[in-house]
Order: sequence, then C-alpha cells, then structure tokens
Amino acid sequence: MIEAAHLSKLYGRGIYALRDVSISIAKGEFLFLTGASGAGKTTLLRLLLRQELQTEGDLRVGGRRLADLSPSDVQAYRRSLGFVFQDFRLIPRMTVFQNVAFVMRVLGSPLEVQQRRTFQVLKYVGLQHRMNAYPEELSGGEQQRIAIARALVNEPQLVLADEPTGNLDPDLSVEVMNLFREINGRGTTIIVATHDISLIQRVGRRVLTLDHGRVVEGR
Amino acid sequence: MSVLRYAVEEALSSLWRGRRFSVLAVATIATAVLVLGCFLLATTNLEHLVDQWRSATELSVFLADTATDDDRRQVEAVLAPGALVASVEFVSKAQALVRFKGMFGDLAPTVDALGRNPLPASYEVRLQPAAGDRQAIEQLAARLRSTAGVADVRYDRQWLDRLLAGVAVVRRIGLVLSAILALAAALTVTTVVRLALHARRDELEIMELVGSPSAYVQGPFILEGALQGLIGGGAAVAILAVAFRALRARDLATWAAALNLADVQFLPIWTSVLLVVGATAVGGVSGLLAARTRG
Repeated sequence: MIEAAHLSKLYGRGIYALRDVSISIAKGEFLFLTGASGAGKTTLLRLLLRQELQTEGDLRVGGRRLADLSPSDVQAYRRSLGFVFQDFRLIPRMTVFQNVAFVMRVLGSPLEVQQRRTFQVLKYVGLQHRMNAYPEELSGGEQQRIAIARALVNEPQLVLADEPTGNLDPDLSVEVMNLFREINGRGTTIIVATHDISLIQRVGRRVLTLDHGRVVEGR
Repeated sequence: MSVLRYAVEEALSSLWRGRRFSVLAVATIATAVLVLGCFLLATTNLEHLVDQWRSATELSVFLADTATDDDRRQVEAVLAPGALVASVEFVSKAQALVRFKGMFGDLAPTVDALGRNPLPASYEVRLQPAAGDRQAIEQLAARLRSTAGVADVRYDRQWLDRLLAGVAVVRRIGLVLSAILALAAALTVTTVVRLALHARRDELEIMELVGSPSAYVQGPFILEGALQGLIGGGAAVAILAVAFRALRARDLATWAAALNLADVQFLPIWTSVLLVVGATAVGGVSGLLAARTRG
C-alpha cells in the first residue's frame, strides 16, 4: 500500500529529517514507527499526509505518487486517511457527537449519513453514552477514543497516529492500543508513531525504528 | 446546498462568538459608507439644484424704465428663437414685484415704503440646451447691451459652470476620502476575520487533514466578512436615511423652498443598493484575503 524509495527530507542548514528511507507497508498492516525525539517519525507522517513534500526519493500510497497530486487530488487523497493527534485536538465548543460528525459535515455528507455513521463509530469505541458531553467533561482516555472515532468516521483505508498515547497513563495507553488493534483487525492499515517501547513490546507488531532520519531497524 | 448551509451557520456563529471585534469591523465599514453617502447625498442634490437653475433663465435682459415700445420690439427681434435662443418670457415691472414679494415676503414692507416699484422689467431667456458655444452667447449679450432701452444683461451659465466644477471637486474629495476609509475598513475586517481564523485553527487543521473542500474551509470566512460589510453598509444607509428625513423635516424644506428646489431628495434607490452591495463586497473580499493568507 505504501512504498517509499530513497526518501529524504532536507530542511534548511543541511539538516536531514529523513535520509534515504526505503520502506514498504502492505495493505492491512499495523506498523509502529519508533525512535527518539527528532528521529523523523513525525516528518514521515507529514509526508504521508501530504502536508510536506520530500526533497529526494519517491513516495507512493495506493500506487499514486504523492508528489504528483494536484491540490484537489490532495483533498481526495486525504479523504481516504484518518489521523489521530497526541493532544486529541477535540473542538471544545462541540459535543462529543458534533466533534465526530464534524468530519462528515465538512465533507458535505448528508445529515442522515452523518448521524448514522457518527453513532456507529461512537458505539464502536464504546462512548455512545457520552455523545452529549463536552470534551472537557471526559477523561484523557475517553478524549483519545473520541479522537479515534473521529478518525474512523469516514471509513479510512489508512489511519496515522502521532504519539496517540503520549498524554495517557499506561492503562489507558493499552486500552487505546487495543482499539487500534481492533480497527486493524477489520482491514484498516495502521501506522502509529510512538517512543513508548514497552507499549510496542506489549502489542507486538512490526516496528520501524528511525534514528536521525535513517531507518536503523525493521525495513 | 450543504456547503452554503454550513458556511451560513458557521459565519453566524463566528460573528456571534467574536461579536466584540465584529462590532468594530461593522463600525468601520459603516463609517466609510456613511462618509461616502453624505458626500453623494450633498453632491447629488447640488447637481440637481444646478440642473434646475441651468434649465431656468440663463440670460436676463433688464430694461431701463425709460425703454419705449420700439426699444422692446428691437430687443425682441434680437431674441427671436433660433439656434441659440430656445424661448423668451417677458416679465413686467409689476410681475417682477409680485415675484419678489413672493420670494422675500419679509422685505415686502420695505419695498412698499419706497412708494415706487424699483424693480426693472426684463426678458428671461432660455438658451437651447446644446448652446454650448460661449463666444456666440457673449456676442448675443454684447448685441443686447448695445440695443437701446437695455439697462443690463446677466449671463448665469458662467457661475453655474463654476459651481458645477466645485461640486465635482467636492465629489472627488468625497470619493478619495471614502476610498481611504474603505481601505481602513477592509483592513479591520481582514484582522477581525483573522482573529476568527486563529480561534478556529484546530478546526481548520482538521478540515484540511480530512480533505475538506476549499469551499468549506474558506466559505464561512468569506461569508463572515461579507456579513460584516452587509450589516455595516445597511446600517450606514439606514442611519443616513433617518438623519436625512429628520433634517429635511426641520431645516432643509425651508432651504429647498427658498432655493425654488422642488424637493431635496435622498439618494436614488440604486445608489443606496450599490453602497450596501459595495460594502458587502469589500467585506467578502477581505474575508477571502484573510482566509487565503492565513499562516
């Protein structure tokens, strides 16, 4: 599904955030990206989200070269992705239900579809009973489950998560990872960037370790 | 339809959330429109007034009290309607007095106290509308002055032209001032919309990451700016209309009667609509600029 060949991202002053990365990720795979801060995990996710372009090499997702996408193609491509942030990024003025439905609303889905899908994913993450609550009324774990529900509501083929357990205690982290495993079990490709080695060992999936922008383990 | 509905809902909600700043943007737009409206109102009415004067007597030929019937016939021969003269009206001394008393009633006793009619008889001459050749008119005036029985010849068009030129300058000053104020209003709207963008930066990031169409991302901000313009422009025209009605009722009607002006008029409807549409457009473009240039 994802093919990166000799991928490099060079920022100013000759600093490489990624250097000569060549990886292949199959459809339906669950991959951990790990490494110390500044290793290049977030940069790789940003390239996959087409928020940035590589300076060298080639990156393809589902056979399409991301560098060749026009602005409208980028919008269409992103509709096949789901994204989870470390800090949840829930919208405080919206209820849980509105936060999740927001994605479908801004994609122009009919109201009936918005409501049906939102309720389905809230049920899936086990928080349908909190749908009228506001984010500030939820625990960190609940907020991240809502963020995951929001990433899933549009039925993406690929979910990218950047340190999704960074703000959670170990028990909640396991709970969130179990949710990702479940989602992956339904055929969705998952890439999780984390530096939590113990969590990676517990979940036990393929790991790609980056160090100073280079893949040092698990090509 | 869903994008329009989304944009309207979000723009209204954003206006309400940022109402303190929105009021500022609306007030600056209203000020710009109000200033432009005032200048347009003043210059439109002045032009209307000058037009009326232009279509009224343009050449006045005053007769000496000693003018004989022969003298009058000679003057009438010179003023025979043709390429230059459209029509001629004779105003006798008695008619002139009646007119004077009608226009300046307060002075009637003073005139009566004189014991005689001091006003001369005259011919009021309307020139052909196309008679723009000043030299030909000057020649006509010179011929009349040299005709026996003529005391004086007054030619109105020169000062009317000067007045019109003055009105045009005032209008230009108004336009420049309004353009500067409109620029200030546009900058204020851009800043206020930027604040709204900043307040919603997380939402916008999510929208972009999920591939939301540009119309959904930018639409609410364009509409928010346009609504600020619409409210500001509409309020300004409404304030201008109310102030105009109040003023007309109190002072302007007296002036209008004194100036023989049928009525002092408010801005034509299309000008009012254009002012509001212009303010809405300035607001919308400012909103678009803010949305497109956000960091």
